Amino acid sequence: MLLDPTFLAIQFLNGLQLASLLFLLAVGLSVVFGLMGFINLAHGTLYMIGAYIGLSVARSTGSFWLALVAAPVAVALLGMVFHVVLLRHMQAASPMKQVLVTFGLIFVGLDSVRYIWGNYSHGIDLPAVLAGGVSVLGETYPIYRLFIIGLGLAVLAALHWGLERTRLGALVRAGVDDRETAAALGIDVGLAFFAVFCLGCALAGLAGVVAAPVLSVYPGMDMSVLILTLIVVVIGGPGSLKGAALGALVIGMAQTFGQVLVPALASVMIYAVMAAVLLARPGGLVRARHG
Amino acid sequence: MTDLAQDRLRLAVAAVMAAAALLWWATAGFFGHELIAQVAIFAIFAMSLDLLVGTAGMVSLGHAAFFGAGAYATAGLTVLLGWPAWLALPASMVVAGLLAVVVGAFAVRLAGVFFIMITLAIGEMVHAYLFRSRTFGGDDGLGGIPRPDLGALGLTLDDPSHFSLAVLTLALLVYLGLRQVVGSPFGQVLAGIHRNEARMRALGCPVRHYKLAAFTLAGAIAGLAGSLAAQHNNFISPELVTWTTSGEALIVVIVGGMGTLVGPVAGAAAVILAGHYLSGLTEYWMFFMGLMFVAVVLIAGDGLQGALERLARRFGRAAG
Repeated sequence: MLLDPTFLAIQFLNGLQLASLLFLLAVGLSVVFGLMGFINLAHGTLYMIGAYIGLSVARSTGSFWLALVAAPVAVALLGMVFHVVLLRHMQAASPMKQVLVTFGLIFVGLDSVRYIWGNYSHGIDLPAVLAGGVSVLGETYPIYRLFIIGLGLAVLAALHWGLERTRLGALVRAGVDDRETAAALGIDVGLAFFAVFCLGCALAGLAGVVAAPVLSVYPGMDMSVLILTLIVVVIGGPGSLKGAALGALVIGMAQTFGQVLVPALASVMIYAVMAAVLLARPGGLVRARHG
Repeated sequence: MTDLAQDRLRLAVAAVMAAAALLWWATAGFFGHELIAQVAIFAIFAMSLDLLVGTAGMVSLGHAAFFGAGAYATAGLTVLLGWPAWLALPASMVVAGLLAVVVGAFAVRLAGVFFIMITLAIGEMVHAYLFRSRTFGGDDGLGGIPRPDLGALGLTLDDPSHFSLAVLTLALLVYLGLRQVVGSPFGQVLAGIHRNEARMRALGCPVRHYKLAAFTLAGAIAGLAGSLAAQHNNFISPELVTWTTSGEALIVVIVGGMGTLVGPVAGAAAVILAGHYLSGLTEYWMFFMGLMFVAVVLIAGDGLQGALERLARRFGRAAG
């Protein structure tokens, strides 16, 4: 069974689907980290809130598509508030303090979600277009999972274009490459940070609502995904779009194939992969920063 | 303020806290004693992390792995292998220390955020392993862990008042021991690495060996705290090893005042007590706990002990 091509193809698609979700989560975190050396531990919380807002919108309007738009926008607004109220005033503080503030926010977010939406787990119904399955080498494969893969690829392409071809993208690249020099040349690194931060929040919200129909929506869904996302960022190499994509692919595949091939060790395997990558390449797979 | 005056102030704070703890112990009832034991155990854990973070400058987000290793070693040795509890305690420190040697051998090669991340990942790896381990009861955990029989000394540790006093005494010993370590040449080298690692290396100091030694010692002491926690609860579960435990300890260390040892002890007491009283008031106590973390990190600057020392400096200047 293990070497059956159909089985491998299905698992490969599952791995791609997970990688796609992880990419949506990791890319914002990674570029913000590259710009500011700041890790947002509440990134998983934004993902969870995105899923819940998507849930509420989908339930009240009956439209999954509306939820798909509303959740990222709402989470981006939340990120904006967070930036204006807290982060902006902490630019001078050590990265360690910023990390600890976001650690505190995990608990605030978790209990807020429990208070507003309760402790039960929920699911979101799919629109008819995405609900069915297609035949892959004789097996039926859910269309929705292919949709997630497509969405991840589309976001990757859009971000690549934005980073390479737009003015803001150039500012961000300059900031990641060498923050001091960029600032000395008159680039407003703070503004680039703000834009990337909000975009990262929106993508986390998008990941939440996209994941909702596949994984259920429950308080605590943030934790399970946060650690995976951090691992993706670190092994990919902080600050790099390519790194986030590559890291997501490695972890998505390691997790998926680990679970079917060596179930007993699957939970340990991704950490082992991370340790191995870090020891071989201490700066991650792709280096965004020079020197 | 001179180093000597700073050191005296810390010792004075430690003496005041020890006296307060004794007073509390003497007046506390059953639940009070349970709470004292909990505070003292978390204080030991926080002090061990302070050696790593405050003295050596190694910010670990996976320290709960060694706490868990101590707790699970105690459970395994007593419940599964039938060892006496008094022997399981030092053995658990050895187990946690050995795990720290292995983990540290990898981790000390990395610095900064990468060090934080690899310790986080290894901590989660230990959690994932224990969560699935049939031997240790998986996510259900394992119960029936005995406390040492110190009848020969006239102590019955199953009585919360005796147990909490024993744990308090151990916390005090750990404090005095770590004070010695920090003040020793070994501790001075760690402080030097914290200040300027490149310069220490240029001076010919085997930086990685020192870091590994600090990591191992901190791991062994965290293992002591874990072993005590297992005995205190008579029960272990993977909950002990979650990364949020490491995060809370890190907050306690930074909020209390890194590198001061007394600060983290005060922080540990504050967090345990706040958690205890808040959880009695509302189901959503984690919300307020989180807000408190945020507020304290924003306000405290160099920690409570740091604020106290600044105050003392101002008074010293006014007097002198």
